[in-house]
Amino acid sequence: MLELRPILSALWRHKISALLIAVQLGLTLAIVGNATVVIQERIERIARPTGVAVTDIVTAQFMPIAKNYDRLEAFRLDLDMIRQLPGVAAATVSRAPLTGGGSGTGLYTAPNQEIGATGGAQFWGDEHLIDALGMKLVAGRAFTPNDITEASFSSGWRPNMAIVTQQLADKLFANGEALGQSIYFSGEDNPIEIVGIVERNLGPWPNSHNAGSTVFFPAVMDTQWFDYVVRAEPGQREAVAKLLEEKLAERDPQRVVAVNLLEDKLDRYYAGDNTMIQVLSGVVSMLTFIVALGIVGLTVFWITQRQKQIGVRRALGASRSAISRYFLLENLMIATTGIVLGTAAAQIFNRFLASEFEQPALPLSTTAICALILFGISLAAALVPALRAANISPAMATRSV
Amino acid sequence: MLKMHNVRKSYRTDTIETHALRDFSLEVNEGEFVSVTGPSGSGKTTFLNIAGLLETPTGGQYLLDGQDVSDLNDRDRSRLRNEKIGFIFQGFNLIPDLDLFDNIDVPLRYRGFNAKERKKRIEKVLEQVGLSARARHLPAQLSGGQQQRVAIARALAGEPRFLLADEPTGNLDSLMARQVMELLEFINEWGTTIVMVTHDPDLARRAHRNIQIVDGQVADLRLQSALGEAVTA
Repeated sequence: MLELRPILSALWRHKISALLIAVQLGLTLAIVGNATVVIQERIERIARPTGVAVTDIVTAQFMPIAKNYDRLEAFRLDLDMIRQLPGVAAATVSRAPLTGGGSGTGLYTAPNQEIGATGGAQFWGDEHLIDALGMKLVAGRAFTPNDITEASFSSGWRPNMAIVTQQLADKLFANGEALGQSIYFSGEDNPIEIVGIVERNLGPWPNSHNAGSTVFFPAVMDTQWFDYVVRAEPGQREAVAKLLEEKLAERDPQRVVAVNLLEDKLDRYYAGDNTMIQVLSGVVSMLTFIVALGIVGLTVFWITQRQKQIGVRRALGASRSAISRYFLLENLMIATTGIVLGTAAAQIFNRFLASEFEQPALPLSTTAICALILFGISLAAALVPALRAANISPAMATRSV
Repeated sequence: MLKMHNVRKSYRTDTIETHALRDFSLEVNEGEFVSVTGPSGSGKTTFLNIAGLLETPTGGQYLLDGQDVSDLNDRDRSRLRNEKIGFIFQGFNLIPDLDLFDNIDVPLRYRGFNAKERKKRIEKVLEQVGLSARARHLPAQLSGGQQQRVAIARALAGEPRFLLADEPTGNLDSLMARQVMELLEFINEWGTTIVMVTHDPDLARRAHRNIQIVDGQVADLRLQSALGEAVTA
C-alpha cells in the first residue's frame, strides 16, 4: 500500500532539506531544458543540408608576387589545367560558399526601387558553377559559355541574367513564378532575368537569417577575393587537393598557393557552434551529476538517520520491498516537486533568454523529455540507498543504541 | 502459542563465535502473561528477537501458533510479524515525524486494511489507551507514559494474539510504569498472550509466570507465587 500521506507528513517535517533538493532539481531542469534547446538548435543548424557537395569540394587561392598580374589569364590557364587533373569532376572560379566570407546584395522585383529590398548573398561564376558546387538545378537552365562575361570588379558591369536558389525565388515571387521574371538592383532599371533555379545554397554565412537566399551571376570577376572551387570525384578529395597544390605551384611558381578542403572551412565556420554544444553538454552532464550526487547524499543521510525507524517499521511488518518503496516514493515526491518547479522555471528562463538573446523557444515536449530523464536519474540515484535500507534488520528495533 | 525447542543463536565474527542462546526450550500457552528476566547479556533480547521473528535462530525449532517459523523467508516472516505479533519497545520507538494517528496506522497499512477499517481501529485503540484527544499530536508533545500508551495502542491495533514487550516500563517513572503495567494486565485479561522482558522484579512478579535466562538458557521456571522468594533472596 502506498504511504503517500505519511511520507508527505514526514517530508513536511524535513521540508528545508527536501525543498533544497527539489529546488536544485528544478534549477537543473530549467538550465538543462534551455541548454538542450540551444544544443538541439545548434545541432540542427549544423546538420542542415547546404545544397553543396561539401565533402567533395577542394578550394584553392593564390596570391601573385608580381604587380600587374593578369589574373583573368591565370584563371583561364589554371582552370584548363585543373579540369584535366585526374579525380576532378568539375571546377570553376567563384567564391567558396559556407566559409564566412562573401558579398550580399538587395534585390527588387520592379525597377528603380530603393525600399523593401529582398536580401541575399551573391556569387559570380562561369558555366561550370552549378556542377562544380554540386548544386541541383530544379528549374530553368545553367549558364552557358556564351552567358559568361569576364569583368573587372570595379568596372560597374551589370548582369542581365541570374540563377537563384529556390528560397530566394520564393521570397521574391511568392506565387512561385520566378523563372523568366526580372529582378533589379537598388535604384536601377537594368532587368536581370532569372534563367535558372537551384534547390539550395546556404551562401557564405550559414548562420545568418538570410542564409539560403542566394543569387548567382554569369561572370568571372577580376578580384583578389576568389576561390577555385574544385569538385573531386567521390573519395578523391585528398588526392585532388595534393595534386592541386603541386600543379598550381608548378604552372606558375611566382605566386603563393593555398589549398583547403571545404569541409574543413565549414568546420571552422561552425567551430563556435560546436564549442557551444560541447560546453553546454558538459554543463548539462555536470549539473545532472551534481543533482544525482545530492539525491544520493540526502537519501543516504536520511536512511542513516532513520535506521532505527526502519528497523521499527520492519518489526511492525514492513517487507524489504515496502522499505525500498518508501524511500523511492519519498524521492519521487521530491523529484515531482522539483520538476513542477523546474518546468515553470524553465519556461520563465526561456522567455528571458528568448527576449534578451534571441534564443529559440523551449517546447513543452523538450521540457517533458528532460523532466523524464531527470526523473529517471533521480530514481536511479535513490535506488541503491533505498535497496540498502531494505537490508536493515528488524532487530534494529530492539537495539538500545 | 509459542514453542521453542533447542533453539540456538550464535553470532560469528572473524575471531570469535558468541552463543547468545544455547539449546533454549520454552513453551508459552495461549492467554499466558510471562515475564522474562535475567542479567544483562544473558540472551533476553536475542530470545525476544527470535520470538518476535526479528531474527532467525541458528538452529532448533520454533513453532508460533502451531506453525514452524524457523526457516520462513523474509516476506512470510514480515507478514506473520504484522498479523500475529504486537511489539512494545523500551524506547517506545514511535516515529517522530508522524502524529499518533499515523504512528498507529503504520502496521495497519502494511496489513493492507482499507482507510475506513484503519480509521476505525485507530480510533478504537486510542480510546482504549485514553489518548483520543491527542490523535494529531506528535510523539514529542507527549509524556513518556503517554508515548508508551501510544506504542501499546499501535501494538494492539492489529489485534495480535501475541504481544512482546521489551522493558515496557524501563523509561518510565514508577507511577507511569504502574499505569502501563495495568494496561498490559487488562490486555492480557482480554485474551492476548504476553511475553514481557523486564529487569524490574516487581513487574516480573505480576506476570503469571517468570522465566529466568542465564547464559543463553532457561535457568528456572516457576510459578508466580514462588518467584517472590527467588527474586528477593
